[in-house]
Amino acid sequence: MGKIIDLIDDKLKVFDPIYRAENGLGGQRDRYYDRTGVAKYREWRGVKDTLYDYERWLINVVSMVKMVASAPIPIMKGFWEYRWMGSYLGTFMFIDRLFEGYRDQELRVAHLQMHAIVVNLTKRIAYILSHDRRLGASMEKSSSLLPMDETLPAFFTTGFPDLVPMPLQTLPEFIICDIDQHIEPYYIDVAESFGLPADVCSRCAAETGVALDDAFPLAGKAMIATNMPCNASEATSMFQRRRIGMPDYVASMSMIHNDEDTALPFDRKIMEEVIAFVEEQYDTKWNWKAFFKAAKNFNEQNTYELEKWDYMKTGYTAEVGISETLYKLFEWQSVNGTDPYFNKVDRKVMKILRKCYEKKYEPFGGKTRHRAFLWGPSAVYYTDFPTWCQNAWGLAIVLNMDSTMGFNMISTDDKDKALDDLALLTTKACMRHMAVGGWDNINAVWEWAHNFNCDMVLMNDNIACKGMLGVHSIMEEQARDLGFHFIFIEHDLEDSRTVSRQNMRDCVNQYMSIVLGEEPLDPTIITFDDSEAF
Amino acid sequence: MKDLKHLIFFENLLQDAQNELVQQAVNEGKRALGYNCYYVPEVLLNLGDCFSTRLRAPRCTSPDVATYYMTGRTCPYVRSILERAIEGGYNHLSAVFGSESCAAMERMEEQLYLLKPIKRDDFFVTIIDPPLKGDQTNLDYYKVQLKKHVLGAMERAWGMDVSDEVMRAAIEKFNKLCRVITEIGNLRKLPNPPITGYEFHVIMLVSEVCPHDLILPYLEETLEELKTRKPDPEFPFRARVVLAGSEVDDPEFTKLIEMCGAMVVADRYCFGSLPSREEIEIRDGESAFDAIARHYLHWNQCARFMDGMKIDQRHDKLAELVKEYHADGIIYENMKFCEFWSYEKVLASHIMIEENGIPCATIEKEYALGSVGQLRTRFQAFVESLEIKKINAEGGV
Repeated sequence: MGKIIDLIDDKLKVFDPIYRAENGLGGQRDRYYDRTGVAKYREWRGVKDTLYDYERWLINVVSMVKMVASAPIPIMKGFWEYRWMGSYLGTFMFIDRLFEGYRDQELRVAHLQMHAIVVNLTKRIAYILSHDRRLGASMEKSSSLLPMDETLPAFFTTGFPDLVPMPLQTLPEFIICDIDQHIEPYYIDVAESFGLPADVCSRCAAETGVALDDAFPLAGKAMIATNMPCNASEATSMFQRRRIGMPDYVASMSMIHNDEDTALPFDRKIMEEVIAFVEEQYDTKWNWKAFFKAAKNFNEQNTYELEKWDYMKTGYTAEVGISETLYKLFEWQSVNGTDPYFNKVDRKVMKILRKCYEKKYEPFGGKTRHRAFLWGPSAVYYTDFPTWCQNAWGLAIVLNMDSTMGFNMISTDDKDKALDDLALLTTKACMRHMAVGGWDNINAVWEWAHNFNCDMVLMNDNIACKGMLGVHSIMEEQARDLGFHFIFIEHDLEDSRTVSRQNMRDCVNQYMSIVLGEEPLDPTIITFDDSEAF
Repeated sequence: MKDLKHLIFFENLLQDAQNELVQQAVNEGKRALGYNCYYVPEVLLNLGDCFSTRLRAPRCTSPDVATYYMTGRTCPYVRSILERAIEGGYNHLSAVFGSESCAAMERMEEQLYLLKPIKRDDFFVTIIDPPLKGDQTNLDYYKVQLKKHVLGAMERAWGMDVSDEVMRAAIEKFNKLCRVITEIGNLRKLPNPPITGYEFHVIMLVSEVCPHDLILPYLEETLEELKTRKPDPEFPFRARVVLAGSEVDDPEFTKLIEMCGAMVVADRYCFGSLPSREEIEIRDGESAFDAIARHYLHWNQCARFMDGMKIDQRHDKLAELVKEYHADGIIYENMKFCEFWSYEKVLASHIMIEENGIPCATIEKEYALGSVGQLRTRFQAFVESLEIKKINAEGGV
């Protein structure tokens, strides 16, 4: 059987975009209709990998069908009510694009992890829409949901097993901007037409637009806002609380949170107040037993994550690029300990990774030229940036900013310690532990890059992020002093009209070709127009 | 109106951060402590032999080097401060007491210790993490921050006496200054005030940037002068407005509005007096430090406050100012790239217009007064609209 497969692979290798690029016959971009993200046919990866990839595609389709079947009327109403719902139809293109060029073990790890995200997300969409008061759900029914700012990790809600956390911005804004670059500009325009200046962070402008457009699902009795991660997100919370109009508690965590002797007691107090607020508003009681049980799940995930890092520090791992960072982001931000399926997936993935390390498996056929640490948020995803870096220039994105969120363990038997752990974990959330909150956080870039044996740092330069802009040239000067290749990649986060995907790619193209004098691995994806792609 | 005796002297004091009174105090062996934000209680920087000076960068028009470090897409105020520091304009400072009030400000304060542009061996920067809510938990955190990063820093650096007794003495002096400024400011409530918004802005600024001991006699004399100053026979402006928003430390901006016909009767912006010059009250059984922290958290109306209580407070207070100062409308301004006031300006002006029936104009500005023509047109149009509203309210022509 193996010989037959090898024979077929050999005969059909001319359809493999990697082979085509290596032999001057074309490359990844050949498959696409011009300017779009619509492929004419699926990527040929050899018999085994193509079948595996297709099987996983089908499994993801099944999850989508299950979602619709579980709540057909709310889902249909959701499509009618919410502009952002339509963008979820682009999920499959998104996934296909993310895993271009993936083969063998990295493809398996990527799909296992992505499917966990799809399963969790589809269930979440169905649940939220079927409990959404805008779509006709009763107050009583919708009260099982606890809306909260998405940058507040959902982990604390495990102490309320009768409540389902609803990270408020995740569905209409955060996840969807990763899938579809064209959806958020609409909401940004809504906010700007209301008078908001165009120089504020586009993520927060989009959130404001979603609020003004009444496009947040409406569920729950009360909501929890937070100051995380930054100034603009604090400010947009004003609009959200006013427009949604529910009782709210603002979890105003410390900004300079590394100052542990002063910040930690305060953050812990805030977490205690969050819990008390939920107890009061939802007439429920915090359940330590449930919390500790979830803490065990969370710690297991965390333990695996730290072990993964050890492999990632070497070149011998199948946990790579966008697959790694997207999974970590979703797992940490939305799941952390609440979905046992993720633990199951983690166990499977760890088995693969351990074998890969033992066998000194090198991903992407060992074509990696540089190991890069990527410091970047959402624009990384809708541009499938790590994947593109690897396929175009052989830049392996070893670790992304989002992967460096809190990784402390949570006590599973000491209530007092558990609250401290919870506070510490919460303060080290997405972006706020990186882009703001003091120089130490951003200065950590070099240590991360060094520890993960990177020779390059790609610094996503959000043109509206005041926290990062404030240290712009200091970072450049430090990179020179420390001997890292350093590339600033300008982007406007969720507004691809300001800085297009090609503009972002050009930042890398220019450095690689002009400064390093290197040739691309796949010339078809150096300059191309995908401005109409999802 | 007859010119104020000390106005030119005051205006000259605003031409440099290191003005003659600041220099005099430094020469006398006092420590100049710079700060940017209201979150750092001014009174605490006036303990012992220290004096506070709020940081401005007068006449800074092109912060090129700071723009290299912070890009041209960050707040021009903080860039101008960094530029002035790099130029050597703050070498008289013993320390900067910073605040993570916003990301741009914090980054600028960090650059002060990373780049070390202030050439004094003993110079240091300390930064507090200020609270975002007005409740007890946040008050407690505020106290912890002030103790560690303000009082603690003073004790560690200079062995300062920060006892309750010393603080009470500082409060007493501070209150004296506040009483003078408040009394001057209250004159703006009169139908035909004997002071213009520009003049008050100048007076307010010198009270913030100069050593209190040295500027107070001039302010007291000015107050006495104003008590007998005869205003023009008729109110010379076409409208009265409250100016609200982010940082304004250039009185020329107030002058620009007034030249368009609207007197700035109340100054609810960073560097303004509302809030800033309220007296600190020490309640029975309260320590001086507790009173200071409570006072500053209560009066602070920064747009970064997120909780409903403080959001409502800042909107209610502004509506009250309109009433108290008999204003016809509000001009909301925000410094370009100021995220907090960009949002607040939009939401608050909506609330003021729709819910309180108060006319508002909203503008965005640079630190250095530029685009004067565009701003003038906006202000003139707003003044005209206020006049039309008045005419309509009186039954039309």
